[in-house]
Amino acid sequence: MAAAILMIFYPKLVDSYFLHLTVATFLAMIMASSWDILARTGQVSVGQAGLFGIGAYTAALLFQKAHLHPVLGMLAGAVLAMIVAAGLGYLTLRLRGIYFSITTIAFAEALSVIWLMTPRVTGGAMGVSTPPLFGGNREQAYYLILMILALVIFTVWFIESSRLNFAFTAIRENEEVANVMGINPTRYKVLAFMISAFFTGFAGGFYSHYNTYIIPYEVFGLGISIACLVMPIFGGLYTIAGPIIGTILVKAIEEYLRVTFSYGHQIAYGLILVVVVLFMPEGLLGLWKRRILPLWGGVRP
Amino acid sequence: MREHEKNFLANEREHDQTMETPFLLEVKGLTKHFGGLAAVQKVSFEIRRGEIVSLIGPNGAGKTTIFNLISGVYGPDSGDILLDRQSLIGQRPFEVCQKGIGRTFQIMQPFPHMTVLENVVTSGLFGRVPKISMRQAEEEARELCQLVGLGDRQGAFPRNLTVADQKRIEIARALAVKPKLLLLDEVMSGLTPIETGEAIKLVLGLRDHGATIFLIEHVMKVVMGISDRVVVLHHGEKIAEGTTTEVANDSRVIEAYLGERIDEREEASC
Repeated sequence: MAAAILMIFYPKLVDSYFLHLTVATFLAMIMASSWDILARTGQVSVGQAGLFGIGAYTAALLFQKAHLHPVLGMLAGAVLAMIVAAGLGYLTLRLRGIYFSITTIAFAEALSVIWLMTPRVTGGAMGVSTPPLFGGNREQAYYLILMILALVIFTVWFIESSRLNFAFTAIRENEEVANVMGINPTRYKVLAFMISAFFTGFAGGFYSHYNTYIIPYEVFGLGISIACLVMPIFGGLYTIAGPIIGTILVKAIEEYLRVTFSYGHQIAYGLILVVVVLFMPEGLLGLWKRRILPLWGGVRP
Repeated sequence: MREHEKNFLANEREHDQTMETPFLLEVKGLTKHFGGLAAVQKVSFEIRRGEIVSLIGPNGAGKTTIFNLISGVYGPDSGDILLDRQSLIGQRPFEVCQKGIGRTFQIMQPFPHMTVLENVVTSGLFGRVPKISMRQAEEEARELCQLVGLGDRQGAFPRNLTVADQKRIEIARALAVKPKLLLLDEVMSGLTPIETGEAIKLVLGLRDHGATIFLIEHVMKVVMGISDRVVVLHHGEKIAEGTTTEVANDSRVIEAYLGERIDEREEASC
């Protein structure tokens, strides 16, 4: 409750630079949590940028060509990303393990190439620019992204407390057995991918209007896809808090390195992935549970 | 004329959906090849409601393949499988499950990061038609845990349990779908004599509650003790079918088991 009130008055308490950082962090949290929703079914997407880019371009082009309200454009981008995920998922989520991951990388790269080859429709390598969101009012942008983040967290909470949690976990742990127990694996994997795509697409739409300028190389780029998976892996998978905590820390490290060196975030992603994979397979939350809590007399699981 | 009339009546029966056939499961000419190897070849048999039927045969005879064909994990090359007269061919495993077939796996495969109770709840939530609420699934799962003897280990994780208890999870999960037909794949192997005794009691108890059970078993004492009928496979073909006594004295069965009489072999191994 106190946290909710703090979130509402937050823009009054911080300066513009910090507010901007917060908006960027919330945006990343949405992408991290969305990636984690799909990961709960055992599927590793390395092509979230494809969905992000679809959302970004849908929102930007709808504004540029039809003067659609930015928020409606973001919604349209989210819905389109979801539809694309349904089609792509239906075709590729029958494949097991690494094949789906490879397909998602190819998907994002293919979109990037298509965009570069069709400059008349998409703006090509020159990208698309839009006027600042809400006339440059960062507070309004903050409230919009806060609402979407709240919706994402609510969705994850809903998944966790519904029968979906059982289906997702069962598929992740043993797809063949889940299938024999009455769970249609493809159906639930596609559903998870669609939910993930909706929010990632919305994030893309928000980014295009907030940033005022997008190019294919960036919004369809591997950097975004990697960011989507580094943050939840760092924080802790298959939890509500994991992706949130992971994002805060990754963003803080990234910002520090960006100010200190350029290209800082790329170093951060690389280092974090190596450290997490080697030393803390359950992420920060796992580390907390296994190493820190016992120091206060907690019970080791 | 009479002959004709008979046929007509038979046809009429065939189409009368309300008529109960004595057979819950009918397997007709089932064949499955893996590459050039015939894993199962023209196997036919039936299982009546309320029966306990065992499927036995030496290693590699195709027993688990038959289970995988029935539960839809593999599609057969030819032949038909009917549950309550409805063909299961082309149905995916989750559809077969929802039509009323619950199964266990030879190598225990509980979901490792779910508790015993959650393992059983999962099966009840998705294997039942019509769907049941989460609360009902949990209540039923608790009852099933009691029934199979896991009442006090509902909150435990599978890796901390004994082989026998992991087999109990398998059975509880299979039962949670309220199956018309229960397929048990070697649920007694690897158990101590006391545990085997408990498992036999459990299976007989399930039958008394009206379950129809089809089991693969290596432990001959169990097969001979609880089966109404036995189907014997050898090199993918059915070589015998009948009551336990009939099968134990069948020359082809004796030959398949390397010339030993089945009851002797069991005693020798004890």
